[in-house]
Amino acid sequence: MSWNNDDKSTYNSFIDKYKNILVMFFILFSFLSLKLFYLQVIRGSFYRNVSEHQRLNTTHERASRGIVYDSKGKIIIGNDSNYVALFYPFEQQYMPSEDTIEQLNRILKRDIKPFIDKGWRYGRVVKIADNLTLEEVFKIQEKKLFLPGITVVKEPKRIYFNSVENAPVTGYVGEVRADELETLETDGYKAGDFIGRGGIEQSYDRYLRGIDGGLDLEVNAKGQHQKAFSYRAPKIGNSVYLTIDDDIQKVAYEALTKTTTGKGAAVVIDVRTGAVKALVSCPSYDTNKVFTGEYRKYLKDKKLPLFNRAIQALYPPGSTFKIITFIAAMEYLHLNPEHTEECNGKFELGDRVYACSSKAGHGRINLIRAMTVSCNVYFYQLGLDLGIRALVKWAKTFYLGEATGIDIPSEKKGFVPTPEWKKARMKMIWLKGDTVIFAIGQGALWVTPLQMAATMTAVANKGIYFKPYIVEKVIDAENNNILYKHSPETKAKIIARDDVWKQLNKALTNVVEKGTAVRTKLKNIKIAAKTGTAQNPHGEDHAWVVAYAPADNPEIALAVIVENGGSGGVISVPVAREIFKQYFNISDSGEEPAKKMTNRTRQITGKGNTNVQN
Amino acid sequence: MFKTKTVFSRIAENIDWLFWISLIFLVSIGCLAIYSASLNYDNPMKFIITQTAALTIGLIGIIFLASFNYQYYKHFSSLIYAFSCILLISVLVFGTTVRATKGWFNFGFFSFQPVEVTKIMLILVLAAFLDNHWKEIQKLSVFCKALCITGGHLFLIMLQPDFSSTLSYFPVTLILLYVTGARLRHILSIILYGSLAMGIPLLVTFFKLQQNLLKSNKLISFFVNATTDLQSAAIILGSIILLVFLIKWFLNKLRIHVGIVYPVIFLLIIITGSFSSVIVDKSLKEYQRKRLIVFLNPSIDSRGAGYNIIQSKIAIGSGKIVGKGFFKGTQTQLGFLPEQRTDFIFSVIGEEGGYLFSQLTILFYFFFVWRALIIAQHARDRYGSLVATGIATMFAFYGIINIGMVMGLMPVTGLPLLLLSYGGSSMLSSMIAVGILMSIHLRRFNEY
Repeated sequence: MSWNNDDKSTYNSFIDKYKNILVMFFILFSFLSLKLFYLQVIRGSFYRNVSEHQRLNTTHERASRGIVYDSKGKIIIGNDSNYVALFYPFEQQYMPSEDTIEQLNRILKRDIKPFIDKGWRYGRVVKIADNLTLEEVFKIQEKKLFLPGITVVKEPKRIYFNSVENAPVTGYVGEVRADELETLETDGYKAGDFIGRGGIEQSYDRYLRGIDGGLDLEVNAKGQHQKAFSYRAPKIGNSVYLTIDDDIQKVAYEALTKTTTGKGAAVVIDVRTGAVKALVSCPSYDTNKVFTGEYRKYLKDKKLPLFNRAIQALYPPGSTFKIITFIAAMEYLHLNPEHTEECNGKFELGDRVYACSSKAGHGRINLIRAMTVSCNVYFYQLGLDLGIRALVKWAKTFYLGEATGIDIPSEKKGFVPTPEWKKARMKMIWLKGDTVIFAIGQGALWVTPLQMAATMTAVANKGIYFKPYIVEKVIDAENNNILYKHSPETKAKIIARDDVWKQLNKALTNVVEKGTAVRTKLKNIKIAAKTGTAQNPHGEDHAWVVAYAPADNPEIALAVIVENGGSGGVISVPVAREIFKQYFNISDSGEEPAKKMTNRTRQITGKGNTNVQN
Repeated sequence: MFKTKTVFSRIAENIDWLFWISLIFLVSIGCLAIYSASLNYDNPMKFIITQTAALTIGLIGIIFLASFNYQYYKHFSSLIYAFSCILLISVLVFGTTVRATKGWFNFGFFSFQPVEVTKIMLILVLAAFLDNHWKEIQKLSVFCKALCITGGHLFLIMLQPDFSSTLSYFPVTLILLYVTGARLRHILSIILYGSLAMGIPLLVTFFKLQQNLLKSNKLISFFVNATTDLQSAAIILGSIILLVFLIKWFLNKLRIHVGIVYPVIFLLIIITGSFSSVIVDKSLKEYQRKRLIVFLNPSIDSRGAGYNIIQSKIAIGSGKIVGKGFFKGTQTQLGFLPEQRTDFIFSVIGEEGGYLFSQLTILFYFFFVWRALIIAQHARDRYGSLVATGIATMFAFYGIINIGMVMGLMPVTGLPLLLLSYGGSSMLSSMIAVGILMSIHLRRFNEY
């Protein structure tokens, strides 16, 4: 009891109030303690993470991507260097100030816009300017004091050789987009990284990507570097060796550009392994210029240069499909190749008339002859005899309507129509007419040039169908360890009697010797080929040729198409001929069948003869 | 009055161990944190030397003030009040401006902030007034007179303007009025008035920072509009008036009779409060308002007003349970944590000492306040009790506001953590306060 002069009751009321105050303070301090517990014990790990993030500034030294060689050891994709201006965030400055950007614009004479990065996180570096010249680099270094946070670094840059010709094979690289980052982050990609787009750059990205080096720096709040932790040197990506022959690519592309429309594709495959020696799509684009103004031109170009016709374009196979009908007829129907049919230029089925390639008709001819001159009537009859089921089965045996599984992305499957499909899709029943045009590769049958080349490989191999591939091996650039080696993969062995292959070989050789592909003819090399002039409801016919050589002991097979080119024998065959010349190293054409045979070929494959009336 | 021998023996006999252990712990961990926060400067010893010097002078002051009978303050209370006002006026005339606040006397080798001393003087003066008038404290006139004593100081301080220093005045005044026995409804009216006057402009600032919310939420944007548009303000006030009378009518129906005075006063407070908010709004600058309210959601202005809070929370949280070790906190040592020696000293302890040390700091701070209240309880007279309560409240609210601020629970006000933060003036004033507490403590028994 205190307070001598006051009575007890006032003192007691005082004491009660003190207690209330004490309780209030206790509650308030308990709140503080609870919040402290929440921050440090419950959320501690989160905040520890955040503090580490803002303390450590990882400077990346970008690794070069792997070098890509062709089958002869020539570099197709290499690396150059490129200077870029980066912005490192510091203190409360997360973006370069407008002033800094203005200064930069003055130095570089560019028009960089101030921007706000919404997805910004601690420690993220922003790329401000690309492709700086050495002069510009020095100017920036001089003015460094006025450009807070700006650093110039050297970055590897991809360069492509024969970039236009090789574009369908190589693809290109581009920066990882923000929307992809979420899924790619787990694979170690970060903003600003490059990733392959199309071609082997995409499908072998895993191998081609180098391992970025760099330095973990401790930075203070002002963005100044305090300490550096261990430096990691960047590691170049692995070297990739292709099956592609750069010279054939060039020759094929050149030949395609010289054709009537300049649109088309060519695929060359080594029949012994399935190795793709060339894969060309024309017109193409320059992979070195993808990130310049050119790209917009590519997008607008009506000839679609960005479209990889070799694996993405779908065409009716036309008469080249007769090869499959031929095999089916001999193997399935045990057709005697000497069996003859009368061709008078048209084929009547019910109330419809289907025309032959020759209006006048080929007369009475056997199977070999029908193949040589590409007689439709003979094959219409074969189609009727085989029936749609057998035709579909044999088409599928050669993997039509199915991706070949080549190791570059975005391959199209093509399509093989069936009666069930027609019923479901068009609500119509399958007619015999559908079967007969199927037999000559028309109708709703769609194939890619690659599929036809692969089919030709199987024919050349007497039924062994190799999966086509582009990458031979991948080698670690530093210690030469082989990381990946392709072993030829037989997708299927197409079973047919030896006689079938022999007769087919004979027929296809005849096509070159005295038939529709006579322009392919080369001295010393015996070629087997089949032309096709595929009907196209949207415009001019597509010109096909499929071939392999040497006919006796095949080494390579090819498929060439010239889109809307017209007659296969006239338009596509010269392309094939150029390719064979390059492959077999024949400097001179040897003979000039083109001139001699012009009139005759016209007779056989002349335009307007292939009309099929529905 | 200087019976030195007896003073020392009394101290030895009557020492409140918990009080002194708390004090020593707080001061020591404060010095440790200040040292850690100065390691990045050219002369890290500079700050710790200044702090220890202030502490040493403060300890001498404690002995001096402890031996001086506090009851004399009561007799000279008008003199003290006059002197404190002169100090506050002269700083307005002769003071130097630091960070837009004219609140410092600069004596060359050291500078001094008078408001640190006047806040203790005010406790002495207010306690004296309340001790004299405790019988009539329930009268509104006496209540208002007490408010005017505080108001005089507040007015002079706001002229500097030093908003943060006024903050401790409010709880000290209200709690002293409460313990003296003022009517609860008077106190509640003041609190309601104050929170309206302060709260409206701050909330408006808070919502204006979030334009998206304003666009999507019509109700909030209507209220925000009402601060500038008289018509909508009238609608809101009108509906409040209607609501209050509706409630009164409803209570009447329930046979609970409330005099007409209460709703009228209630409404008057609301209306005057709302209109005073305009004055507050004008007197605070945009950045100050932002700073005061951004703690509700620092991320809306993470690179501006919210930066300090975010960094402070990261610092404290990242300390986890045992801390990163003293002198090893990355937030502190790399300068991410702002104002680390002064306002955010607690965050340094949080980061480097972890939950262990920061919880201990809060605990000892509470012990310190608690023992100060015990001194109030045992004082020999009402005046001693009131002074001790005032001092305890001052310490308590500085602690709560500061620690609450660094953890994002309270507005960023720039109030230091007494006994821990770096600063000679605040350390000295804390020591003066401790000295007065000792004086009361030593004279608690009537026989002395």
